[in-house]
Amino acid sequence: MSDITFKFDLKQIKTEIQSAIIECSHRGLLHSTKWLAEMNIALKDVDINPAETTSPQSTCSLQGEDADLYTLAKTYFDLKELDRCAFYTEKSTSPKTRFLHLYSRYLSGERKKLHDMTDSTLPPDPTQNSSLRELSAELRVEYKDGKLDAYCLYLYGVVLKRLELVRDAQNILVEAIQKEPLHWGAWLELAALVSDQGSAPLTDIPNHWMKQFFLAHMYLEQQMNEAALEIYYLLQQNGFEKSSYITAQTAIASHNRREVDSAIATFRHLHKEDPYRLDNLDVYSNLLYVKELRVELSQLAHHVCEVDKYRVETCCVIGNYYSLRSEHQKAVLYFQRALKLNPQYLSAWTLMGHEFMEMKNTNAAIQSYRQAIEVNRRDYRAWYGLGQTYEILKMPYYCLHYYKQAQQLRPNDSRMLIALGETYEKLDKIQDALKCYFKARSVGDIEGIALLKMAKLYDKLQESENASAAYIEYVTDNESSQAGEKSEVSQAYKYLANYYIKRNMFDEAYQYAHKCLDYEDTREEGKALLKAVAQTRSQTDRELMVGNITMSC
Amino acid sequence: MAGRGEMDCEMKNLSDQHVNVDTFRKLVRSYLDLHQYNAALFWADKAVTLSGDDPKDVYWLAQCMFYLKQYHRAVHLIRSKELDKTHPLCHYLTVKSLLAASCYSDALQLLTMVENDNSLSRTTRNTSIDSMGDGMMFADCPANLQSSILFLKGQVLEAMDNRELAADCYRQALRCDVFCYEAFEALIQHHMLSSWEEMELLDSIPYTEQCSSPAEATFLRQLYETKLNKYQGPPQQLLEMKSVKFQGQYPETPVLGSAASPSGSVFKSKLALDVSQSSTDSHKSAPCLDDSQPNLVIKLIPNNLDVIVSKAERLFYNCKFQSCLKLTEEVLKKDPYHSSCLCVHIGCLVELDKSNQLFYLAHRLVDLHPEMAISWFAVGCYYYIIGKSDPARRYLTKATVLDRLFGPAWLAFGHSFAAENEHDQAMSAYFKASQLMKGCHLPLLYIGLECGLTNSCKLADKFFLQAQNIAPQDPFVMHELGVIAFQNREYERAEKHFEDALKLVRSIDDSIAEKWEPLLNNLGHVSRKRCKFQTALEYHQQALVLRPLNPSTFSAMGYTHAMMGNTLEAVDCFHKALGLRRDDTFSTTMLTYVIEQLVDDTEPFEGAPDKMPPFRSKKVSTSRAHRIISYDDQNPDDASMNIDEEAGSTPPPMSDTANVSELANVTAGSSALSFEVEMHDSSSQTLDKDST
Repeated sequence: MSDITFKFDLKQIKTEIQSAIIECSHRGLLHSTKWLAEMNIALKDVDINPAETTSPQSTCSLQGEDADLYTLAKTYFDLKELDRCAFYTEKSTSPKTRFLHLYSRYLSGERKKLHDMTDSTLPPDPTQNSSLRELSAELRVEYKDGKLDAYCLYLYGVVLKRLELVRDAQNILVEAIQKEPLHWGAWLELAALVSDQGSAPLTDIPNHWMKQFFLAHMYLEQQMNEAALEIYYLLQQNGFEKSSYITAQTAIASHNRREVDSAIATFRHLHKEDPYRLDNLDVYSNLLYVKELRVELSQLAHHVCEVDKYRVETCCVIGNYYSLRSEHQKAVLYFQRALKLNPQYLSAWTLMGHEFMEMKNTNAAIQSYRQAIEVNRRDYRAWYGLGQTYEILKMPYYCLHYYKQAQQLRPNDSRMLIALGETYEKLDKIQDALKCYFKARSVGDIEGIALLKMAKLYDKLQESENASAAYIEYVTDNESSQAGEKSEVSQAYKYLANYYIKRNMFDEAYQYAHKCLDYEDTREEGKALLKAVAQTRSQTDRELMVGNITMSC
Repeated sequence: MAGRGEMDCEMKNLSDQHVNVDTFRKLVRSYLDLHQYNAALFWADKAVTLSGDDPKDVYWLAQCMFYLKQYHRAVHLIRSKELDKTHPLCHYLTVKSLLAASCYSDALQLLTMVENDNSLSRTTRNTSIDSMGDGMMFADCPANLQSSILFLKGQVLEAMDNRELAADCYRQALRCDVFCYEAFEALIQHHMLSSWEEMELLDSIPYTEQCSSPAEATFLRQLYETKLNKYQGPPQQLLEMKSVKFQGQYPETPVLGSAASPSGSVFKSKLALDVSQSSTDSHKSAPCLDDSQPNLVIKLIPNNLDVIVSKAERLFYNCKFQSCLKLTEEVLKKDPYHSSCLCVHIGCLVELDKSNQLFYLAHRLVDLHPEMAISWFAVGCYYYIIGKSDPARRYLTKATVLDRLFGPAWLAFGHSFAAENEHDQAMSAYFKASQLMKGCHLPLLYIGLECGLTNSCKLADKFFLQAQNIAPQDPFVMHELGVIAFQNREYERAEKHFEDALKLVRSIDDSIAEKWEPLLNNLGHVSRKRCKFQTALEYHQQALVLRPLNPSTFSAMGYTHAMMGNTLEAVDCFHKALGLRRDDTFSTTMLTYVIEQLVDDTEPFEGAPDKMPPFRSKKVSTSRAHRIISYDDQNPDDASMNIDEEAGSTPPPMSDTANVSELANVTAGSSALSFEVEMHDSSSQTLDKDST
């Protein structure tokens, strides 16, 4: 990734951003506007000559009746009277009003779907999408006539994406970006699509400075955390050091890399700088949850609840908080609330799945995980969760498939590999299981059980050489940490003692048998082993002695 | 003297008291104009007595009676004056009254009697008016009386259920008077003629002789043309100003008709299609009035409601319901009770499932026009789309009682049965419709559909072929033919039918209407059956574009992938299908099967080595080995890939053919099942194509 050249003309960037802010806000694209505005404020030290700004042009393009109509429509739009906005703008041809018309129709359709949602464990029925289909048919005609501008193209792409026409959506979005590279929303949608498909169409994308943000975002989605971090660091070095967005993204990257402490530190810093920022705080709460920092999490939960009760992030934080307190019922309630607010909110689905798992409600868990995957196929936690659920349901073939998906998304995460291995073991595919454990060990075993599993398998295969080697390593690993499960370690000692007795290596056998005495459940056996060692040793000693005697004789 | 004086006086009185009959006559006319029929009747009666049974006055008197709905009285009056056979206008009125009084046989008798009399005394039909005038001292009857009488005869015959002869009469009437729209409407309204007969009619009308200018002739022809032939053929003519380009293509039906009508062979479809492909060329030479002229109708009266309604109707038959609805709404805004538009409008509302709008419309119609069949038809349609078949049937029956010839109601009646899988009853309703609408292929199409659903494929095929006879260019028929062929396992034929249908649909419009999603899916099915897996996938993909998130499309794709050995993709597709429809047994079984196969097919993880690498303990191993492992740590995939290459083995080819055929056998039953579902889709899609 080092070949990326960062030659930014910050002044020009700032001018571009400012004009894009106007364009986006005129079209009611609030999130893009927010993002751009944040970027703009991050560049506040950059001075631009006000004479150079070209922004007012676009506002003048609307005149007379069009302008009046636009003002009316925008007012309705802002007040969320979407159908009314759509009605008044129906015949208008000027690009902005046209976009408002289409966009309000899209939003209205989505909102109605949301309102019709009866059961919050289920998303709105995706087959009830007549308004979407209507919209897409209309946009298709206009697209063929070449009438769509960049923003309408974006909308068309979004509609196609919602209809699961991934390939078309991707092409349309790329086209939209080519026409208007500063529209961050389009990039985001594209990133979600690209990460589903592998990085195929990146060649068509204009070489704009926005591309760097996009790439980094995409790498992050694809769990290519190092590459993402590299870009973010470079961006920070090149003028964007004040951007809270980038800071948050780096924190997420460290979260993905399981660098919990540094991620927490970054979030803490961010929280201090911008205390009312709710974006990404759910990730922060995840981190606190993993670290079991009850106090911090509690404080965070109360704080965000005060800021805005009805934000998905808030609901997730509170859900995590209740989950840590083992009040799973309440946690589910909050995740459901989050999903009511936004059924496309990925992490709530996954977290709700986890909660259902805790409550042993496998059906609901499967539902939730599946939804998470529907929202984003790259969510490895959901895949892994599905695997676990099916493991409980004793459907190893399904389970294997899901673990495999999870493993593909996180090729270097030992937990998936171990899970895979265990499933293979259940299916009596010992060789495949061994391969998984081996790989798990080589990528750095987090839970430290790969070796043990391997050893047991070797034992099963009666490859006692390998088994003992594995046990030895397992034992030595665990000797220092004392963290391993006691019974497992003791069993390892027992096996080793037996193994060495068979090999007539009494010193080692004695040593391991002695170790057995340290553990509750193997104490008796340890004693027996010690006795056996002593016996066989004396026996062999006697034999040796006899031999010596005869020799000496 | 006195007597003479009296006489004088009387004479004087008489001239004094002389009343001019003409004033009364004028009074009669003016009261009639003002619809004060009783006053008119009173004065007409006086005029008759005054003028001493002047036939003209008798006629007006009878007219007044007719307006007052005293039909028998009118008949009696004319008959008593013995004018019913001698005076043309009175003759006409008598027949009209008899018809209105439902005395069909009397009317027919009178008509034939007069006809026979006249035919003796004249040589040709065209001069009949003159000859009649000769005999009866009447010269001022309207010029189009002859055609009106013919039209009346047609009506009488139709009322007596003698439709063939009636159609003949209408045709003659139209030939006598090209402007006799009522006859034309009677011909086309009830679908009496098949499409090529319609075209023949259109060609046989002597426009040039009767119109004052060629422009007028063209105008008239095009006006009639807009009313015709809605089911088939590229319909752009009306939608675009560049209609000239399409004109050559448009009147292709005569040729088609001659090709398709005489023989009833099974391969007719093929024949018809061949013709249709070459029709563009063959029609360059065909006589066509307006080949070189721009469409006058569009040019002169683009905003005439009738023209817009025709446009809407065409859109409707091309499944562009949204744009059709826009047009009909526009028309209804200007003329809220435009009857022909209402029919299209109701059809659109049914198609788009707008029950609320239909509810309101039906209520308004019933309140205002309870005597019109269409009002009750609307009510019936409303109940039909909200899924209440019983009331739907009740109201549709009411519509058919009000107007026995109201075909759409019969069709909808059939649909209401079909929706509940009452195949026999549905069929009988459709049969009734087919009797009423001889020239319409829809009833036949539906009968065929029902036959197909009751597993009598042969019969279904027969009906579809009949339907195709009537409308050789309707893609719906081709599609259904394909479905039947598919069910008979004649995949090659099915594919041909489907492809033909697709070709036609494409020729209508580049962007295929959503209605055609089943066609694409069926093409996918048939391609899969013929082992063209890649094509099958492409078709399914296209189907998804038209109707996204359709679970059966996804399971079909999954099945295809499974046959191709793309187990992973298959698993994906089945997952998607099940996500959309959870109780899909076919997908569930397939998914279990495929997911088990997947385990054998794929390696444990990406880049897994073929053989288990030897175990080397970190502690025991040398420092070099340790380094390898740590290298592994950083880049595990590369390392294991190397191992893979060294092993030099390629993964075994996916699922051998035996496996696939076994798979096909295993799931044959369920695939038929899924196809059945498909069939349902297709039937429901043609279901609501109401004729108007």
